[in-house]
Amino acid sequence: MRDARKALLWLATLLFVVMAGDRLLSWMLARVLVRSQFRYSQLYRGGTNADILIMGDSRGVNSFYAPAIEELTGKKAFNLSYNSMSPVVAEALLLDYLDRNRPPKMVIFEPTCVMVDGAVLTELRPFATLSPRLMALYQERHPDAARMEKIFHLLLLNTGFFVDALHYMRQSDQDWIMRGSLPETSEPEGKRVVPFLPGNREALQRIVTALRRRGVEVRFVIAPYYAKGIENLPQLIAGLPLDDHVRVATYDTVFHDPALFADHVHLNEKGSREFLAMLRRDGVLALPGEGMGGQRPRL
Amino acid sequence: MPASVLFNSFAFLIFLPIFLLFYWATRGRVRLWVMLLSSIVFYAWWDWRFVFLLLFSSVVDYSLGILLENQQNDATRKRLIVLSVAVNLGLLGFFKYFNFFADSAARISQSLGLHVSYNALKIVLPVGISFYVFKTMSYTIDVYRRAEKAERDLLKFTTFVVFFPELVAGPIVRASRMIPQLKHDHSFDYERMVSGLTLIMAGYVRKVAIADSIAPLVDVRFAHPEAHSTLSLLLGVYLYAFQIYCDFSGYSNIAIGLARVLGFDFGVNFDRPYFSRGFSEFWTRWHISLSSWLRDYLYVSLGGNRGGAWRTYRNLMLTMLLGGLWHGANWTFVAWGALHGGYLVAQRWIGPWYQRAIRAVRVPALVSHAFLVLLVFHLTCFAWIFFRSPSFSVAWQVLSGITHVHGSLLDIDNRWRILKCVLLIAALCAIEAATFLPKRRKAVIAVEPGEQVTVSAHAPQFSTAQRLAFCAACAWVLLLFGTFSGINFIYFQF
Repeated sequence: MRDARKALLWLATLLFVVMAGDRLLSWMLARVLVRSQFRYSQLYRGGTNADILIMGDSRGVNSFYAPAIEELTGKKAFNLSYNSMSPVVAEALLLDYLDRNRPPKMVIFEPTCVMVDGAVLTELRPFATLSPRLMALYQERHPDAARMEKIFHLLLLNTGFFVDALHYMRQSDQDWIMRGSLPETSEPEGKRVVPFLPGNREALQRIVTALRRRGVEVRFVIAPYYAKGIENLPQLIAGLPLDDHVRVATYDTVFHDPALFADHVHLNEKGSREFLAMLRRDGVLALPGEGMGGQRPRL
Repeated sequence: MPASVLFNSFAFLIFLPIFLLFYWATRGRVRLWVMLLSSIVFYAWWDWRFVFLLLFSSVVDYSLGILLENQQNDATRKRLIVLSVAVNLGLLGFFKYFNFFADSAARISQSLGLHVSYNALKIVLPVGISFYVFKTMSYTIDVYRRAEKAERDLLKFTTFVVFFPELVAGPIVRASRMIPQLKHDHSFDYERMVSGLTLIMAGYVRKVAIADSIAPLVDVRFAHPEAHSTLSLLLGVYLYAFQIYCDFSGYSNIAIGLARVLGFDFGVNFDRPYFSRGFSEFWTRWHISLSSWLRDYLYVSLGGNRGGAWRTYRNLMLTMLLGGLWHGANWTFVAWGALHGGYLVAQRWIGPWYQRAIRAVRVPALVSHAFLVLLVFHLTCFAWIFFRSPSFSVAWQVLSGITHVHGSLLDIDNRWRILKCVLLIAALCAIEAATFLPKRRKAVIAVEPGEQVTVSAHAPQFSTAQRLAFCAACAWVLLLFGTFSGINFIYFQF
């Protein structure tokens, strides 16, 4: 009986130490997190104040290389895209961005992310404590995990994004892009299908409404595939919230050189630079009110 | 794989407290029934049908054990032990190797120009069969050798076979160790509880924080070796060496720690194998319960080192080849066993020359030891390539990717996630190295009756306060770095 009492006391002490350490460590690490130069740390720290903001999934990351946009336009560009970023998740991030940073002059949205389900949300949970929007989404999709994370706060930091944030303490992650290329002998894939997953169409509509209300120019730009195009392109375009001010530019089949692609879905750095130069020539990167020499943007 | 009550599953978090409640609330035979029924529930959670196979194996060897003890006629005893081995290996052979041998035979026939049609049977491999078959087989062999008395209590014997902490992935706790511990009640002991819990926490860190973090990095490299640079593939091999070590030693730690909390002693199953200076030492540190089983029931039965050098080499090779096959029905496992057999033979052959050379050139002992540790580790990693690869073609691709140098450091994706794993591995190595210091916190553990082997204790005699700090640190590491997606234990498949 004496041993059982001692064991209970030991277990209670252990639980207390674990909980106290959990709170202290998570508080300290959260401070470190927001000091990082990782894209979402910058977002939540505020003061990014970009002129051109990019949104999308991994195709957004690898097609719109922010350093190259800045070189081409002389404007500050900031890429908020990430692998598996759905419009539903992008909406929360974008609204948080607008709350904490000066609104951009233009948002370029790579819309093929309508086919992803937003798995990036689990990675974003270190930032959920800073964002009621992200937290609400996370609790809705992962209620059990969210309950555990209310008990143990360190679990919120248990993601690859936290490790990435530690890596980018001193340098920005905006130059993150795939640099390898497809073998020379690679053939383009057949036509790809880009279906709308539930909720993504409505999220896009809300994003556009929120941005237009703040006077932000919105442009949808479909980046190149190393494929024979998008089979359901008309339906994809029809599903986008377009009007006289919100246009779409399609570049899905403009490149046929495998050296420009990291794989069949993503451009590499070289491809992105060529693609952005093409956008520059077509006026797609021109901010509203900027002169295009009488040329209308290809939108 | 159907849902299982794995140590890293949510179901186990429910199962364990209920079991502990009933375990500590009962005594004597009622407690044995609690252990037996809980173990059956634990196993049936995966697939209830195979509970009958488990019970069949238990009843057969229980009966044969008694018959062997009662029988005085040597010829009849021989027939009984052959029957026991045949039943056990028959079960293992059918469930684990039928398709493998049938497929191999069909391929050989085809290569000889004979067209043999063969339809693979859809045989489900019963979880833990390799472990419990070895347990029951060693029991009847011990009774046959008159090294062990037959257990006449069916409840105790079946509990020994099915006891859940070691049922699905070992360690292979022999009857001589386990059955005597079932003959009396274990009262709750504070020291055992704390040291057991320390081992369990350390086991979870190895499995959930280290092995499962490494798993996706290794998987991607062995799935598409052609897409990775030399450095990336090398990294994948090194990481796998630690993945399998942390995965299996983690499981063993949890099993041994659980048993310790309940009052049982399972011994030690891993004792810092990557610090070995030779392969014979490696096999006294890696999966000790299996390697000692193979030594006692296979190597010794084949003649061991009696009969000259060539017979010893043959016996080593055969033991390791069969040890490789035990791990899985694939020729890549046989290749892994062959490599280790070759290493053991080479060590016996070259070892004396090496020692003479070291003495002649007066190489400092520390340098020589470090060289040997690195050599053994790298040769072990080389063998792991075959163990991990699903086929020889993948193994060749990995080897070819490593030997034909291409790519650069920039070609490695997820560098910072890899660094996280490397730091966790470095911390593990530092802890192991610290407790590896000579003459420090050694414990004498009886590996088998009559055999005293000195091994460094896995949970050194720290104070309860130090253990509390260690457990808390483990909890924080788990919370911050653990992978909670329920990845199976690698040895679960064996």
